[in-house]
Amino acid sequence: MFDCSHTRYDIQAKNTPDIRSLPNRFLVRIKRHRLAWLLMKELIQYWGKWKVVLSRPCMYGVFSGPLGGFAPRENLCVGCLRCTTEHPEIVQIYHNEKRLELGDSFFSPENFENVCYEARTGRVPVRGAGYRGPFGGTGWDGMWTDMSEIVRPTRDGIHGREYISTSVDIGAKPPYVPLDQHGNPLAHEPRILSIPLPVIFDAPAASVLSSPELIEALAVAAAATGTLAIIPANALHKLKLRSRNIVPLISSEDPEAIRSLHSEPLMVEVAGPDQQLLAKAREHFPKSVICTRLDYLDAVEIVRLVSSGQHVLHLVANYHGQGRDGRFVLDAIRDTHNALVKAGCREQATVLGCGGIIAAEHVPKAIICGLDAVAIDSALLAALQATFVGECMERESACFELPKEFHAKWAARRIVNLMASWHDQLLEVLGAMGLREVRRLRGEVGRAMFQKDLEREAFSGIEGYVG
Amino acid sequence: MWDEKKVEDLITEKHTACLRRGFQLWPQMEYGIMPALGDYRWTQDLILSTWIQAETGALPTNGLEYRSGRSGGGFDVLDFKFHPADQALSPTEAVDLSVSLNCRSYDRRLEIPVPFYGSGMSFGSVSEQIMLSRARAARDWRTFTCTGEGGYPESLFAYKDNVIVQVATGMFGVREETIQSTPIVEFKYAQGAKPGLGGHLLGDKATTAVSSLRESVPWVSLFSPFPFHSVYSVEDHKKHVDWIKTINPQALISVKVSTPTDIDMVAVGSYYAGAHILNVDGGYGGTGAAPEIAKKNIAMPIEFAIPRVHKFLLQEGIRDELVIMASGGIRTAYDIAKIIALGADGVALGTAELVAMGCTRCSNCERGRGCPFGLTTTDPELSQLVDPAWGAQRLSNLYKSFQGQLEDILRRLRLRTIRQLRGRTDLLIYQS
Repeated sequence: MFDCSHTRYDIQAKNTPDIRSLPNRFLVRIKRHRLAWLLMKELIQYWGKWKVVLSRPCMYGVFSGPLGGFAPRENLCVGCLRCTTEHPEIVQIYHNEKRLELGDSFFSPENFENVCYEARTGRVPVRGAGYRGPFGGTGWDGMWTDMSEIVRPTRDGIHGREYISTSVDIGAKPPYVPLDQHGNPLAHEPRILSIPLPVIFDAPAASVLSSPELIEALAVAAAATGTLAIIPANALHKLKLRSRNIVPLISSEDPEAIRSLHSEPLMVEVAGPDQQLLAKAREHFPKSVICTRLDYLDAVEIVRLVSSGQHVLHLVANYHGQGRDGRFVLDAIRDTHNALVKAGCREQATVLGCGGIIAAEHVPKAIICGLDAVAIDSALLAALQATFVGECMERESACFELPKEFHAKWAARRIVNLMASWHDQLLEVLGAMGLREVRRLRGEVGRAMFQKDLEREAFSGIEGYVG
Repeated sequence: MWDEKKVEDLITEKHTACLRRGFQLWPQMEYGIMPALGDYRWTQDLILSTWIQAETGALPTNGLEYRSGRSGGGFDVLDFKFHPADQALSPTEAVDLSVSLNCRSYDRRLEIPVPFYGSGMSFGSVSEQIMLSRARAARDWRTFTCTGEGGYPESLFAYKDNVIVQVATGMFGVREETIQSTPIVEFKYAQGAKPGLGGHLLGDKATTAVSSLRESVPWVSLFSPFPFHSVYSVEDHKKHVDWIKTINPQALISVKVSTPTDIDMVAVGSYYAGAHILNVDGGYGGTGAAPEIAKKNIAMPIEFAIPRVHKFLLQEGIRDELVIMASGGIRTAYDIAKIIALGADGVALGTAELVAMGCTRCSNCERGRGCPFGLTTTDPELSQLVDPAWGAQRLSNLYKSFQGQLEDILRRLRLRTIRQLRGRTDLLIYQS
């Protein structure tokens, strides 16, 4: 009998307001004596026509408080600039410098605002009037994804009845199953799992790891979205959380943590290519996928690890997307993927990556470069309105401060919303390309365009251009 | 006297007067800079200098940068290798900016005296007043404006010889009589600001008038799906062209596409399907609401797409039979000249026209009642802020300034026609 109970993967978003107000985007500065003069002038000019006198240029209610323009409600200002256009001598609108302090030099205030919006609403950010940012740039900014003019995975709208799959498989994927003469498999059944979203949650930074509310929120959100949350094992056993979606992270510093874990997680992550610890993890969790967590290495070393049987790798860069050698993850991912393809073992391995993935568009871009799925880190904390204290770069030393009012239920809801928004945006990108499943995107650099290449093609021959 | 006027009219008059005064005053810098205005692409200088050009038809004289922005790439790192002033053509020597919109050996001849026309903006995404402003300016300049996918308001029939009718995936407002009345029919396959995502008119903007023209239900969001449900191939596209040609054999066919990796193949396909014009729409423009993820990340900028198309069509030996119009991020006369030097024949303007009519690029087009300046709105009260005569004059002034600058560029390059500039990358300098 076929199982006819298929349900379409969908993340239900629910509006979850910010727990503390972000600084207003704009500051409204009024010259009150001039406003008073204008009012008097208009009182005379439109005597008796109160509606005309009181009609103010703002449609968003900035001047609609009890004192009107004398006490503007800055939190409502969207920066349309109509008021200052109409009355340059009375009102000026400024960007709020405090808003520019959100995030850090890599996690820009715009990224922070976007992530907060996504976590608040679960919706795709939509704005008018075209693109406003820099032309291109380094890292993810120097990359565009492809689209097709006529090919479409479905003629029913990407959110319609037909389905674009965002599922990915994590685990060892042997190219064939060796059988004995009776047709029975010679090897153990490969350990593999599917998650409906190519995004997992990475272990929180050391500075917030002591928050049980955060750990609980990650676990709940991972279970709700069907994905995984990596949590250091030593933080776990104090909490008695039982979800299979929690991925205990075991390190050689605390090898006994394995014994304290009683549940059977879908995946276990082992820090560093530690053979002994890996063997122990395999033995203790016979049905779990065992993943090796390591820094971005030389691609040759990664091929060696895969060839030696470590089929699930989680490559870690810092929060700014730099590996130990200072390269941005984009290049490191491409090198890793290409080396594995060249060695003929790419299909057998699963490569996860974290660091520098802070916006929805970074997910498809990282997958195009060669990851199977991404692990997100600082974006989760931005969704929870954490304060970035100084430059938050290295996982061990980065200082994030969670809001005081923070609680697990709210945080889980925010993370689920963030995933709902990113899932929808992934569908948009896949739909534009005409792809039916995200698995087909992995390593498909033909689905991307890189600024360096495009510029060379378009501008070579132009005086002053050096490729 | 005003006692007899309606209060609503007085309110509109009051704000219209204040706005027009502001458009005049701000660029003069009497009140300093407008601190929150501008972004990387449309800098404060570009917006204010566009306001000056729309006001006076002349360039700013107070040092505002009117040629490029500070996006750090594309147009903003390109400049021209001008000849020294004493070697330039004399201002008295005539230069020709005209562009033919049909380079095929058959079908009607159609030429525009300037290398630009208005890109598609639908009724619904913009007000009827804006459509009329654009249509009047197009008529005065013997160029074109485009309906976008939202139907053809009755008032536009007076300008029918200068209006391109767009047929897009939702088929909103597509009617036999409008196709019969137009000199050019544009098929919109995709648009640069949201490539591969179709269109979306929010429910708040689908007023009774808008929905009536689109033959839909008022106040219900309208999705223009992607792609054409009846087009899977070049042959299917040809079928569309045949269908239009049956209804209006005189019409020229334009095909609006976005900028995928295989834009060169798309161009060849459009050519073989019988298109006269290929409108390549890059991702950095767009006047309506679009998902943020699409604007920056999907499909390549126009500065890269045009050279690819131009070179490929040259290789195929068909470059001189297909007109390429570029759109999506063309802000200034210098951008126009640069994209032509990169291989286009001309451009379609959208955002620049809205900025001329007062847009501050605040990006609130989709919010609530729509644009607070009465541009991208269907709110009956807000849309009164733009009077079509005033709007048309602003556009005409901007066109005049663009015309003057383009002539000046040609003279300084010692070229006599804009056609001679096409594909002349040797006249450009890259400044990183």
